[in-house]
Amino acid sequence: MSDFSLNRRSVLSGAVLLLASTALPTIGWAQEPQKGGRLTVAADSEPRNLNPAIVASNGVFFISSKIVEPLAEADYEGKDGLSPRLAVSWEGSEDGKSVTFKLREGVTWHDGKPFTSADVAFSALQIWKPLQNLGRVVFKDLEAVETPDEHTAVFKFAKPTPFQLIRNALPALTSVVPKHIYENGKIEENQANTAPIGTGPFKFAEHKAGQYYRLEKNTAYWGKSKPNLDEIVYQVLPDRSAAANALEAEEIQLAAFSAVPLADLDRISKVPGLKVVTKGYEGLTYQLVVEINHRRKELADVKVRQAIAHAINKEFVVKTIFLGYAETASGPVPKNDKQFYSADVPNYAFDIAKANALLDEAGYKPGADGKRFKLKLLPAPYFNETKQFGDYLRQALAAIGIDAELVNNDSAAHIKAVYTDHAFDLAVGPPVFRGDPAISTTILAQSGIPDGVPFSNQGGYKNADIDAIIAKAAETLDASARTDLYKEFQKKVVEDLPFINVADWTFISVASDKVGNIADNPRWAVSNWSDTWLAK
Amino acid sequence: MRRLASIPEALVGLGILAILAAMALAASALFPGDPFAIKGAPLLSPFQDWSLPLGTDRLGRDVMAELFHGARTSLAVGLAAAAAAIAVGAVIGTLAGFAGGIVDEALMRLTDAFQTVPSFLLALAFVSVVGPSLTVVVIAIALSAWTGPARVARAEVLSIRERDFVAGARVIGMHPLEIALREVLPNALAPVLALSSVIVASAILIEAALSFLGLGDPNRVTWGSMIAEGRTVLRSAPFLSIVPGIALVLTVLGVYLAGEGVVEGTAVRKSLS
Amino acid sequence: MSRAFLLLRRRLAGSIFVLLIVIVGTFLLLEAAPGDAVDAYVVSTGGDAGLVEAMRQSWGLDQSAATRLASYLWALLHLDLGQSVAFSRPIRDVILERLPVTLILMGASTALSFGLGSALGIYAGARPGSLRDRFLSTASLALYAVPGFWLALVLVIAFAVDLRWFPISGFETIASGKAGFAHAADIAHHLVLPVTSLGVIYLALYLRMMRAGMAEVWRLDFVRAARARGLSRRRIVLAHVARNALLPLVTMLGLQSAQMLGGSVVIESIFSVPGLGRLAQEAVALRDTPLLLGIILVSAVLVILINLLVDIAYAFLDPRVGASEAGA
Repeated sequence: MSDFSLNRRSVLSGAVLLLASTALPTIGWAQEPQKGGRLTVAADSEPRNLNPAIVASNGVFFISSKIVEPLAEADYEGKDGLSPRLAVSWEGSEDGKSVTFKLREGVTWHDGKPFTSADVAFSALQIWKPLQNLGRVVFKDLEAVETPDEHTAVFKFAKPTPFQLIRNALPALTSVVPKHIYENGKIEENQANTAPIGTGPFKFAEHKAGQYYRLEKNTAYWGKSKPNLDEIVYQVLPDRSAAANALEAEEIQLAAFSAVPLADLDRISKVPGLKVVTKGYEGLTYQLVVEINHRRKELADVKVRQAIAHAINKEFVVKTIFLGYAETASGPVPKNDKQFYSADVPNYAFDIAKANALLDEAGYKPGADGKRFKLKLLPAPYFNETKQFGDYLRQALAAIGIDAELVNNDSAAHIKAVYTDHAFDLAVGPPVFRGDPAISTTILAQSGIPDGVPFSNQGGYKNADIDAIIAKAAETLDASARTDLYKEFQKKVVEDLPFINVADWTFISVASDKVGNIADNPRWAVSNWSDTWLAK
Repeated sequence: MRRLASIPEALVGLGILAILAAMALAASALFPGDPFAIKGAPLLSPFQDWSLPLGTDRLGRDVMAELFHGARTSLAVGLAAAAAAIAVGAVIGTLAGFAGGIVDEALMRLTDAFQTVPSFLLALAFVSVVGPSLTVVVIAIALSAWTGPARVARAEVLSIRERDFVAGARVIGMHPLEIALREVLPNALAPVLALSSVIVASAILIEAALSFLGLGDPNRVTWGSMIAEGRTVLRSAPFLSIVPGIALVLTVLGVYLAGEGVVEGTAVRKSLS
Repeated sequence: MSRAFLLLRRRLAGSIFVLLIVIVGTFLLLEAAPGDAVDAYVVSTGGDAGLVEAMRQSWGLDQSAATRLASYLWALLHLDLGQSVAFSRPIRDVILERLPVTLILMGASTALSFGLGSALGIYAGARPGSLRDRFLSTASLALYAVPGFWLALVLVIAFAVDLRWFPISGFETIASGKAGFAHAADIAHHLVLPVTSLGVIYLALYLRMMRAGMAEVWRLDFVRAARARGLSRRRIVLAHVARNALLPLVTMLGLQSAQMLGGSVVIESIFSVPGLGRLAQEAVALRDTPLLLGIILVSAVLVILINLLVDIAYAFLDPRVGASEAGA
């Protein structure tokens, strides 16, 4: 268990909860799964496109992962951290130019047609590679998909592509959609994008805009005697306090993705009949990052960036803003990543005196009012925690004589200001770590990215060494050599601080004690829930 | 003023406003420095630590200091928005009423247009488009609040413009615009000003609602943003939203009571004379 | 009758001009916004430069603002509200889906605030200066000062979480299969708290207006005359004083309709009621210009219609109002 826990505090609170719930006479943990029932879940937004093959993002997966399945899903125990879904095995060639998938037999689409390798080939070539936000990176050299028989798909790459990357990308990037539904007409305008058809344990039933999504059990699902639930209902609750209230009033049974604010968890964990679950998000780690605009003369000086790093009390951030439900970050790869994380990086301890000394050294002496210089700070508005960290950072910078003015934008304006207009000095961002640096954290350090690419290096940072490492890793086939390159990358990034990693966090679920089999894989909230069940 | 004091509600209202003004003025003296500074352990309950009498919020900031500095922002927003709305409304209303004809028609249709769009929606759209800062919030509120004063001013002007002194000004050859703004507007102003308490109160409420939706100025403490911050812990630390909530209700109440007192006081005086 | 007709014609002519100002103004406002629909969309997805460009092109956002405004107005002439970029559906459908919800919510709030507000106002105004008058007028002022969102939060905790008398949120029970009366009762049950939160401030307003109006009417000669004729107090209160004090409230009804729609933005999102107010907020956040235009247009038409009805009602209630009345 400790492998998947965030830190000591969550282990402790987990243990306390475990004790509390076993002490309850009604429902224990190790019960036989029951059949049937409707699970009602809080949803905070309504994605306009529910096709996970096009939009590989957690908001979409949360709903559509029950309907449309990937080739493989993340797993706590499985080899390479994977368990099979639509593919039963996968193998990469020596030269890195082909990957062979054996596909599951006896699978049918929700409309009764059989699932075959043609669907995989179509999804890969027509959707993942040209249309998907992440697939455009990973599958950029995918040339062809050969289908020697109905249950074999061979991916052919024009240039060697690391098998490790493909493997790490399987859960999020390889949702398979039916060719016979999508082959006619424009894929982006297909009706199935809002009422998806897949092979998953649940079928899309209806969406009432502003109210709910309803999914129904797929009685012809390939998983033996799965799913357990009859229905899943996503109740749209846009208000931040609604999920906690609805759980308490027993109107919903589950609130995932920290829909219950962290500050309310302590109280809600004491409500009888509810449990707080910290597991099940390890594959969906978010990174709290200070993005830096290197066009600002002061910030182009590494001493100033280091001073800022020294001014941030990471322990305080974890303890106060995340209430312990996070871990301090030492660099661009989160500590809970077992493949790539390296501890061999410089450490910037919280040290105001040192920060002040560094700023003096850099030549930015405080003026008569004690201020060295002013800058604009733009916290991303998507999470409570990023905004609160913005408030904290302003105070932390004030302590070293930097006068930061907060700029509060809504999401669209923030994206435009930071990633297109570069109208920021510091920004607080929550990039996602997707299990492989190639599809996540490197994009914040790499140079030469055109203006307007969201969540990328738009701070004008350029470092030839780091660029070289990233380029080399992209074509290194040997997994351990590739991992070593990314360890080197971490060291260089923390030395030169193109951006500052402060903390890494995953989400929290709050569920009724009646819900069983939750959090049983590292991407649980966005996996298919076929074994989840509800006690009567 | 003495009559005003004889109406108990007005007295209460003025009392509240006086306390509030004192809080706003004393904020910097009593709580120097940044009210957002982190002063202690987070989520400290009120009356535990006498250096932090009202406790601390999620980040450990002094709620008392935030409350005092918030008084300043709320009052400033209310007064500034009302002043702007009344100034713009009075000028537009006067021009419309005085000019008549096509100018009147156009200005009144413009007023209609602003009145047709729900004011909160307009403020919301304006702030999310321009980006929240105190000035923008004030403009956003004034943007929809000027229509009331404009209508009242126009109605007053229509009744004034045929009076002798206006005709006199025409005879001595004053420019119509000069007549409108110099002679007519000041005389139309009293009933327009009677609207001010309603506008101040609703401006304070709109600012609170905008802050509640996360569209306040992040560099200023406002009571609305305090409530919004506190609502995520509404059940575990209710004081965080109750304290600014009560302050907000009392302020709005004070403004209304004082405003009504003034209107009632002048009404009594009129009927006596 | 002809008076009402004249009023109608005059109003319609003016309204078209008003609507045009509203449309162009809203369009220009959103045009000045930092970030467009694509920026709002990539918040949750990310994407590379090619993707972002392709999306702008396919959503027609690469055209100039003037071109888009012109084609929007042209489509509008054909009663076509266009396509929502955020929902990729016809705007007419999106709005029609939400409109009934908002109409029910606002209708119920208006009925509550107008009915109860004027009744309590009559009760208070029947004896000006009495204890109950002082109490009701102070209490209503206090209610008037309470922010709606704040009241909503408190009501939810008291009546939905702790007492569980009412559901926390939503418009109806999800996929309940209820029909007819049971369905209506279900919706009513869901709307008790939102209607109360939205209506209370107006209830206070109507109460105060009624009371103030009555206080003024009491002073008028014809009431003195009625008293002198020895009519019963109850009869004087209801037939003379209240009736005359009601007129300004009717005018207020029209004026408040637009404001209530604004207030519903916050209330609808706290109670997750799928109405027009929440849709408007989403349209702003998603930078869906055509959708926001559509919503504002529909609500403007709604407000104009309500005011028209109010004016017609007024014209019948009060014979002094003629068709020459200049549109206030």
